[in-house]
Amino acid sequence: MKISREWLEKYFDSPLPEAQKIADALTFHAFEIESVEGDILDVKVTPNRGHDCLSHRGLAKEISAILDIPIKSDPIRQSVSLEPKTDQAKITIADGKLCPRFTGAVIKGVKVAPSPEWLKKSLEAVGQKSINNIVDATNFVMLDIGQPLHAFDIGKLKQEKGIALHIRLAKSGEKLMGLDDKEYELKPSMLVIDDANTGTVASIAGIKGGKPTGIDETTIDVFLEAANWDGVTIRKASQTLKLRTDASDRFQQVISSELAAYGTTIAAKLITELAGGEAVGYVDEYPSPQSPWTVEVTAGKVNKVLGTSLSTDDIANAFTRLALPFEEIKGVFTVSVPFERLDLTIPEDLIEEVGRIVGYDKITSVELSPFPKKPEINVDFNAAEKMRKELMAKGYSEVYTSVFAEKGERAVANKVGGEKPYLRTTLVDGLKEALERNSRNKDLLGLKEVKIFEIGTVWKGGKEKILVGTADSKGASEKELSASASDSYDQYPTSTLERYEPFSKYPFIVRDIAMWVPAGTHPDEVIKTIFDSAGKTCRFIELFDKFEKDRKISFAFHIVFQSYEKTLTDEEANAAMEKVYAAVKKEGWEVR
Amino acid sequence: MSKKDEARLPAGRQGHIHPISSLIREANQIFGRMGFTFAQGPLLESEWYNFDALNVPKDHPARDMQDTFFIKDEPGYVLRTHTSPVQVRYMEEQIKSGNPPPYRVIVPGKVFRNEATDMTHEAEFYQLEGLAVGEDITLANLKGTIERFLRELFKGANVEVRFRPSFFPFVEPGVEVDMRIVGDNVPEKLKDRWIEMMGAGMVHPSVLKNAGVDPSKYQGFAFGVGLDRIALLRWGIDDIRLMHSADLRFINQF
Repeated sequence: MKISREWLEKYFDSPLPEAQKIADALTFHAFEIESVEGDILDVKVTPNRGHDCLSHRGLAKEISAILDIPIKSDPIRQSVSLEPKTDQAKITIADGKLCPRFTGAVIKGVKVAPSPEWLKKSLEAVGQKSINNIVDATNFVMLDIGQPLHAFDIGKLKQEKGIALHIRLAKSGEKLMGLDDKEYELKPSMLVIDDANTGTVASIAGIKGGKPTGIDETTIDVFLEAANWDGVTIRKASQTLKLRTDASDRFQQVISSELAAYGTTIAAKLITELAGGEAVGYVDEYPSPQSPWTVEVTAGKVNKVLGTSLSTDDIANAFTRLALPFEEIKGVFTVSVPFERLDLTIPEDLIEEVGRIVGYDKITSVELSPFPKKPEINVDFNAAEKMRKELMAKGYSEVYTSVFAEKGERAVANKVGGEKPYLRTTLVDGLKEALERNSRNKDLLGLKEVKIFEIGTVWKGGKEKILVGTADSKGASEKELSASASDSYDQYPTSTLERYEPFSKYPFIVRDIAMWVPAGTHPDEVIKTIFDSAGKTCRFIELFDKFEKDRKISFAFHIVFQSYEKTLTDEEANAAMEKVYAAVKKEGWEVR
Repeated sequence: MSKKDEARLPAGRQGHIHPISSLIREANQIFGRMGFTFAQGPLLESEWYNFDALNVPKDHPARDMQDTFFIKDEPGYVLRTHTSPVQVRYMEEQIKSGNPPPYRVIVPGKVFRNEATDMTHEAEFYQLEGLAVGEDITLANLKGTIERFLRELFKGANVEVRFRPSFFPFVEPGVEVDMRIVGDNVPEKLKDRWIEMMGAGMVHPSVLKNAGVDPSKYQGFAFGVGLDRIALLRWGIDDIRLMHSADLRFINQF
């Protein structure tokens, strides 16, 4: 969620630190920060905090707790009243589980106009488009306190004894033209708000308003809606419609029903300030009221989980900074959880709150005490390790190939790109293909023969199995890895490589050279001479033939040339070889 | 002349180990010394073990945190998105065999994410899960254990570890673990930089309960670290796709 430092500041008496400092505070005590651009922070609110932190108010509270600076006033801790009730809007809810609460206000006599500068700027700063004063007010309140809202044009709803809205599931075949000018085909799993006086869908609940009842310049009377919806239903509808909105993002994470009343009253007030008119009355259908709850944790448990020795004062201080009301009796903390903190349900949740506010940097590392039992030996891993040793000793190198194949018994249903959806039944196909590719690089690799193996999983005969497969010039084969019991693992060596060197992707050229050298000449001496003269594209030199005759030795070498920058030409290889011949002659060796 | 310009001597007759196999071997040695047992589980996993038992309910936004491969015509089955299902499988098995905690296990193995691949993303990659459960296992132990692992893995380098708050449904509290290596003999890319290494935390009581372990008596930590990522950092590998390339120009350097 994008938040603006300026917006946050309205929650505090004194200026906030610069954006990067706020970012650091959040990073180490609350959330990861995607980016900081000027005064705008993009905060990665975790799914457990979608209840309260997809809002400037929620993040202002976090900053207040972390930096230990009090906030001026919390808009959702004030008393709230949805009085007087109005009979000009009648709300009925088919299933109170899917719509735990529906609140709203009838606002009459507004003048729709462009928003004032401060509002435009606030919205645009966090990436929202300004539309008009009514719609902007609803978006502003959502971004401020986290309650999504929607405004209907009362003039476009059918009025009998006032308007009537019915909350129900959609019927097959029902359609709605959304405010985004796209037509949506609705399914019976989706919640809609229906104009009960006509029986037509007016909006897709919690996701998108309908174009025909939307606000425009002609609007005079507004019905403002702030409701609460079942998260799973909204999530599924949003997925089916492929339509994610700021509203659906919040509802699918589940927000408190209590918040709706604040949404309605705060937005109604803002609308009348911006657009004139009067909130003549409110509605509040609350079939499934949220009950208050408490969570208990002891100071002992906090320290036992974190591995700390915090005092009851330290813990009390963390709760105070977070504005979590609590009672403490002899180290037992009973927290009366604020209604919007739906994430706080078990003692561990409170322990996390203490841990992150105190700061995880205050936790001192402690190594585990010695384990009282002897580790078990995994028979498959043990067998795999023995197999690796055996095959590597025979010159086989270990490869990993993909488990995805063009054929098989089982397949994945949703592969990105759709290629190779099957799970392999054999290692052989992958190994053969790898062998062929590697064989082209045999000279570069300095191998007489390419030999590879893989220990990998296949799905065959309805079972998941681990096989060991090999491939070399004689062909490819595989067998099941047979378990190997043992008292302990052998301590096999691990790779001693320090740094990997990227290899060249360009083709290489091989040239041979044979020569007579005096008896007793070491091949390394010759290799050095060749290497020093062959230039920087000489990748590799290998002795491939040697015999002695008349106190002289004949050496024959492969010289591999390859550039990191381009494909080498024959001429370039020839030129390098000329330098090699010259250097060899200079040593008094006789090129054959 | 840089090292890459040096002609390499002919390879010996010995074959080469895959870098991930080498890392798993090394991790097993390091964790073995701390009393951890090597455990494994199936790659084609039920949604119960991959999600539900780990406190990730169906239709919960937390399931969006991972892009999952589902199995065609086998509803309820996925290619595991992490090695964490083995936490529950292992504990369940122990309880059934009459072995109460303490437990210490590592689970190195292949995991899957349904993503487009590029230099830093692969659909198939390797994770190492760690789990320690007992009566008195703490978040401080998690820090100590990860520090020791990274210190030994980076050959006694001066490794610092820090936690940042995070969220994974199967731990509470949940943290993101960063690492920083300081000192002289450290590759430039790693030196004095904080690098995100893994997700970790204290095992959520629901996970213990789902595995049949009494959460009022036992607690523990868990972590999951990407082995490919460690390999990339440790050896300066520039492309994660090399891991499954079966290219000996890559493998034979190890």
